[in-house]
Amino acid sequence: MSNLEEKMSSVNLNAWFGQKQVLKDISMSIKAHTVTAIIGPSGCGKSTFIRTLNRMHELVPGARMSGQILLDGTDIYGNEVDPVRVRRRVGMVFQKPNPFPTMSIYDNVAAGLRLTGTKKGKNLDKVVRTSLEQATLWDEVKDDLKKPGTSISGGQQQRLCIARAIALQPEVILMDEPCSALDPIATAKIEELVVQLKENYTVVIVTHNMQQAGRVSDYTAFMYLGQLIEFGDTTTVFENPKSELTEKYITGKFG
Amino acid sequence: MQRLMDKGLEQLTATVFKMGEVAEKALTIAIGGFVKGKDTSEDVHELSEVLVAMTVEVEEKSFSLIAKYQPVASDLRIINSYMKIAYDFERYGRYAWDISYLGKRFGKLDSCDKWVHENIGVMGEKVLQMVKISNTALKSFDTELVKIVTETETEVDELYSQCLNKIVERAEITNECTVTNVLVVRYLERIADHATYLTEAVVYIATGKKASLR
Repeated sequence: MSNLEEKMSSVNLNAWFGQKQVLKDISMSIKAHTVTAIIGPSGCGKSTFIRTLNRMHELVPGARMSGQILLDGTDIYGNEVDPVRVRRRVGMVFQKPNPFPTMSIYDNVAAGLRLTGTKKGKNLDKVVRTSLEQATLWDEVKDDLKKPGTSISGGQQQRLCIARAIALQPEVILMDEPCSALDPIATAKIEELVVQLKENYTVVIVTHNMQQAGRVSDYTAFMYLGQLIEFGDTTTVFENPKSELTEKYITGKFG
Repeated sequence: MQRLMDKGLEQLTATVFKMGEVAEKALTIAIGGFVKGKDTSEDVHELSEVLVAMTVEVEEKSFSLIAKYQPVASDLRIINSYMKIAYDFERYGRYAWDISYLGKRFGKLDSCDKWVHENIGVMGEKVLQMVKISNTALKSFDTELVKIVTETETEVDELYSQCLNKIVERAEITNECTVTNVLVVRYLERIADHATYLTEAVVYIATGKKASLR
């Protein structure tokens, strides 16, 4: 797997909220068409890290960063780079399913495309259907596309949010604890979906669930107090971690 | 802070260590009995049956821990290794019984070749030494002791080969001698192999490295 092409990387990445440094000199390579899991205790910087990967970190007042985030070798923080374009290429799915509450299932998926004016009419229908199919939701909602996005179950709503992200044809999908609000059945469906998604996209997933990281990811990064403690292929990290800190965290002997 | 899984792991460890003691006892009785020409099959059979039951117990405890706690890293390596080690101990018991059964089946083999008999005794001592050291290595996760087991296994293999040659040379004595001696040296050689597997598991637990020591 080490021969895989690099899709993104962070180079000596530091990030702050005001005076507080939350990421410390993180360098990590994310390979194309793989799932990379980010694990670590609450407050270790996992979510901040993935938010730097699509320039969402800078939207928080007082937040700043240094270092580089490369997407296909180009620094997404370069002067010429449009952050909106970056966020289209690097989509995000959040912890809690957040479909637009006033919109139908169809409109939720179509919203981004309508905003950017890139697809209309039959083309739009096609993209909505493909996105819902890729999110493994089409069969469940195809007869209810006009119903509100919030009328379906939590698990379905999260897959709707994934379909919404897919509709913009991103290259990388970031997921911030996408299953934390879901029951085990819905979680299993999202996990299956995550594994399927890597065929077409590169996925980075933040999770508190060790077993989930083990099940879905090819690579695992363990973060602690803003530092990247260990990064490696998931089997090695979970069977024979190099760092004692990683061992303690994943076996629950922490603190 | 003790984790919920720790109690189960402690119980599993205690069962595996106990198996080691029972297996060592079975082998000591069986090998000693064979060398002295004494029928020990009843006692050894009983211990062998205990080991079979304990292997099932280790499997059940291991599966329960895996199902309940989804262990990773050193926890997973320990549980995985304990299941393998329990099998090694079960095999010790089976070979011990096989050795003791030969004594029962063929009785005293006074007319057999003295050299072979003496060297089976030497081989038996070396094998028991390997079993004892590997048990100590298991209890302490001491990878330094592994070297002694590996070195002794080489000596056992050499004795096995020498004994086989001698048995073939002296095959004319009696068929009982030939059959018994061939089987015993084979069982001893296999016990030595299992002691080596056990130390490989100790290395895996302690370092995460899958060593092949044979």
